[in-house]
This record gives sequence, C-alpha cells and structure tokens, in this order.
Amino acid sequence: MTLAAADNRSSWTSAIRWRSVTGIWLRHWTSYIRYWKITITWVLIEPAVALVAVGFGIGQLVVEVEGANSYAEFVTPGIIMGSAMFHALFETSWNAYHRIDNQIYETQLTTPITVFELTLGDVAWAVTRSLMTTVSVAAFAVALGWIDQWSAVGILIPAVLSGMVFGTMGFFFAATAPYTVFLSLVFTLVATPLYFFSGSFFPISVLPDWVEPVAWAMPLTPAVHMARGFATNSLEFSHLWSGLYMVGMILVFWPIAVWLMRRRLIK
Amino acid sequence: MIRVTNLYKRFGDIHAVNGISFEVKKGETYGLLGPNGAGKTTTMRMLSALSPLTSGSITVGGIDVTKHGREVRKILGVVTQHDGHDSGLTVLQNLSLHGYLEGLSLKQAKVRAVEVLTFFGLEDRAGANVYELSGGMKRRLAISRALLTQPPVVVLDEPTTGLDPQSRNRVWEQLAVMKRAGVTVLMSTHYMEEAATLCDRLAIMDHGRILDEGAPDALVDQHAGEEVAQVRTESETALAALRERLADTPYRLHEVGAMATVTSENGKRPDLTGLTGVRVTYRQGNLEDVFLALTGRELRDE
Ligand SMILES: Nc1ncnc2c1ncn2[C@@H]1O[C@H](COP(=O)(O)OP(=O)(O)OP(=O)(O)O)[C@@H](O)[C@H]1O
Ligand SMILES: [Mg+2]
Repeated sequence: MTLAAADNRSSWTSAIRWRSVTGIWLRHWTSYIRYWKITITWVLIEPAVALVAVGFGIGQLVVEVEGANSYAEFVTPGIIMGSAMFHALFETSWNAYHRIDNQIYETQLTTPITVFELTLGDVAWAVTRSLMTTVSVAAFAVALGWIDQWSAVGILIPAVLSGMVFGTMGFFFAATAPYTVFLSLVFTLVATPLYFFSGSFFPISVLPDWVEPVAWAMPLTPAVHMARGFATNSLEFSHLWSGLYMVGMILVFWPIAVWLMRRRLIK
Repeated sequence: MIRVTNLYKRFGDIHAVNGISFEVKKGETYGLLGPNGAGKTTTMRMLSALSPLTSGSITVGGIDVTKHGREVRKILGVVTQHDGHDSGLTVLQNLSLHGYLEGLSLKQAKVRAVEVLTFFGLEDRAGANVYELSGGMKRRLAISRALLTQPPVVVLDEPTTGLDPQSRNRVWEQLAVMKRAGVTVLMSTHYMEEAATLCDRLAIMDHGRILDEGAPDALVDQHAGEEVAQVRTESETALAALRERLADTPYRLHEVGAMATVTSENGKRPDLTGLTGVRVTYRQGNLEDVFLALTGRELRDE
C-alpha cells in the first residue's frame, strides 16, 4: 500500500506532462547526434550489409518462395523489421540499464517527471530509432528495386508498432538485471530466436506443424507479416489482426514495464 | 517549510530510518549529521519523492510528498549523493537539458547553465565530457544543476565531499547568497566545521534516529561544554584513576589511543586537578566533540 501510494507520480490517472516526454526524447536525440559519426553507421552500413548479403547471397540459392516474386523481395520486410526490433530493444535494455546504473534516471527523477513519463520518452526514442533504421534499409531496398516506394511508406506502420512492442519489452530486462552480463539474455532469449523464427527468412509454413503456432505467437511475427503485406501489395484481413496483436502486446507490456521500472528506481 | 513527522523507512529488516521528526523553517539552513549508514541519504531521498515512506509523513512547503510528489519536486533542487551526470552529454548539455526537463525553455536553460557554470568556475569545461572532469568538478556540476531553476528549497546530500578548500569556499559562498535570498536548505555533511558555520540548526543522527537537535552552539554547550579537557597520558593507572574520578559525574571520557577527551554535559569545565601522570590542556569545545560524545567511536559497517 505504501509503495503504490508513495509513487503517486506514476499514477496512471494523473495527467501527462508533455514537457517530461519531450525532454527525455531531446536528451536522446542530443546524445545521438553528438556521436553521429558512429551512430550513422547503425542506420546506413549495418542494414545495407544484411540486405545485400541475404538478398543477393542467399537469394542466388533460393529459386522460389511463396508469396513473393524473388527471395530478395521476400526477405526485405523481414530484415527491416528485424532491424527495427534490435534498435528498439537495445535502447531500452542495454542503454536503459546504463542509465539506471549511472544514476542518470535518478537525476532525471529529481525534476517534475513521473516514471511513466520517463518510459514514454524512452519508448518515443526507441520508436524513433526503429523508424530511422526502417527508412534507411527501405530506401536502400527501393534503390535496389526490391520494394516500391509506396509500399515502403506503409512499412512505417509496423515499424512504429515494433518500436513500441520492443521498446516496452526492453525495460523488462533493464529493470530486473542484477548486473550487465544478465542483459546478454536480451539477445539469447529474445532478439536472436525472434530474428530467425518470425518468418523473416523463410515462410512459417515450412516449419513443423507443432512449431507453427509458436512462431505465429512470437512478438516479431506480426510485424514481419504486416510489413510483408505492404511490401508485396497483398494486404488482407490477417494483416489487420497482426496490427491488433501488436497493439495488444503494447497495452500489456507498457504497464508491466512501468511497474518494473518504478520498483527499480523508486525504492 | 519542511516538516518531517514520525518518519520510518525499512529495507527488508534494515531499519534505515527509525522514527524521526524535525522541522525546517523558511530560510533556515538545517543540517543532518551522522556516521555512515545513519539514514541521512534515505531521509533526503524520501523527501525528494525518490523513495516511498514506510510510514510517517513529509511535507515541503505545505505539500504532502506522498500525495503530490510532482508538485514538491517543482519547488525542490536536489543534489544527490552520487553525482548522476549523463555521460552521453557535454557538461553544458547536462545542465541545459536538465533545465528543459525542469520546465525552462531551451534558451532560458542555456542562459542559466552558463551562469551557474561561471559561478562555479566550470565555464571553460562547458564543452567537455563529464568523465573528463575531476571528482570535485563533478560535485560542483551537481550543485550547479540543483540551483539551475533557483528553487526555494534545496536538498544537498554531502555537497562538499571531495572538494578542495577553494571549491568548498565557493559552495559556502553560494549557500550564503541563497540564505540571504530566503532559500530553505537541508543538507548533510561529514565536515563538522562546515555544519557549525553554515547550519542554523542541525540534527545528529545515528541508526535511523535523531539523537539530538539544536543550534550548533547550544549542542556544544549541552554535550561538550564550553571548554573540554584534553588528557595525554602513557600510564594505564593514571587513566584508570581518571575513569574513576569521572564516574557518576556529568563528565564523559572519550579515549582515543594515548589521548583522551573529557566533555561535559552541564557546560562546566571539568576539574581535573590533582591527577598524577597526566598532562591536561583545555580547548574550546566543538561539534566534533558533540558528535563523538553522542555517536561513540565504533565504525559503522552494517
Ligand atoms: N536501497 C537500499 N536497499 C537496502 N538497504 C539500503 C538501501 N539504501 C540504504 N540502505 C541502508 O539504509 C541504511 C541507511 O543508509 P543511508 O544511505 O541513508 O545512510 P547515510 O546516513 O546517508 O550514510 P553515508 O554517510 O554513508 O552516506 C544503511 O544501513 C544502508 O545500508
Ligand atoms: Mg549518504
């Protein structure tokens, strides 16, 4: 009772102070462009390498893939969403842990900000990073002719949703990590398996029957599915369900993230 | 301005704060003194709404911290015990973005940031990374940050720890300016001289409790005496005789190796004439005597 009462700052009913959210976002942006010579490689080189290696390299070996004209076309939305996931997840797990460990959040919390607003600002930044990587890989794919530019615009929708799904999920790790090495679980438990089993590199239908429902339930799958719907101009009802599934995850993950972060920061 | 009533804080079975009450009036500078682990930081964190209270209540400017943490933080400047600087930003950005988060416009925040940096002699470091600063400079930056918005109430957790005498003077000077402007200050420190100079009143804490509270001079009179005796002896028997002499008197003996200090609880100078094998000198009582008289000599390590 005292815990809940003491941090009224995070009460869901109190109005959101937008200055808190823009202030946090601005902090991230300032820090990002300060190191732009390094961070630019995140959005330019890294995704381009993946696209070329997989699209050209593996694409040579794959003759036919269900639901797309070429393997490159098939894999492009998968790589884009994978990249969006990594960026958002990394931001609120590793980077957020760094901010916990170095009392950066503590300092921010000495201003009139709530823990909820703190996560709003961080997730807004995670979404920004998802969008930046999406735009850069998609632009590259447009140049290669693997996706047309109007489909690429549609892909921004699952990119935003992934930013929120994985942005909120990253806090689970940051808020519970007892030490830095613990955060490697982000990759071994979440990012790597999802990257390969969410229909990015091969259709889920080729998996054994009993694995298929598991693959469909994985949090990256709806993003890849939806992105592919846009990329291949084959939108149907199932893509709407994917969108709703992501919204559902966000609605469930967010309060958990806030609760965990509050427990970690306000004690 | 600050009212703490019956405050308790438990971490599992650790009673970090064990029923304290005190009040800081508007414009007053109030000090928290106590050995490591006494509960100073915990108290200040609860006051800044960074930590939930186990029980009791705190109001700042009449606002209940538990119910309206955000409102309290609007009028509060906080220097945390660990600097908490943002290593992803420059010195100036640390301040200006903090000011923005506090509610200043970016322009105002930058103007204020340059002002406080100049006051604390950090203007040359505005573009530096925070990890390039020395420990004392980081401390000054933390204080600058708390004063950015010119808050009416300031909470400083060991503001001068790690500072050289020049920087400490600069902080004292700043606190004096704030005092003239009517700012209410709650601070903790391990420097007795600092507490004696700066604080109108102070509380001596140990094990989560307040052992005594009052103006520095009053505390010295009460627990050390205007004059304390310093006794130097090599002889165990002389010491034993001294112990016997002081038993059941208002005088207290504090032994530190070959040196012993005799403090007084009635303000009168202890009479130590007639003892053999000892050298007795008298000096003015000070807060350190009070501190040791109240909290004893053993190290705190829990
Ligand atoms: N987050 C925490 N979890 C568990 N115990 C804690 C926590 N924070 C503080 N404590 C305990 O509470 C007690 C009071 O600590 P506090 O930091 O308030 O002391 P302090 O008076 O500020 O000491 P110092 O002079 O060393 O800064 C200590 O026993 C400490 O171990
Ligand atoms: Mg402390």
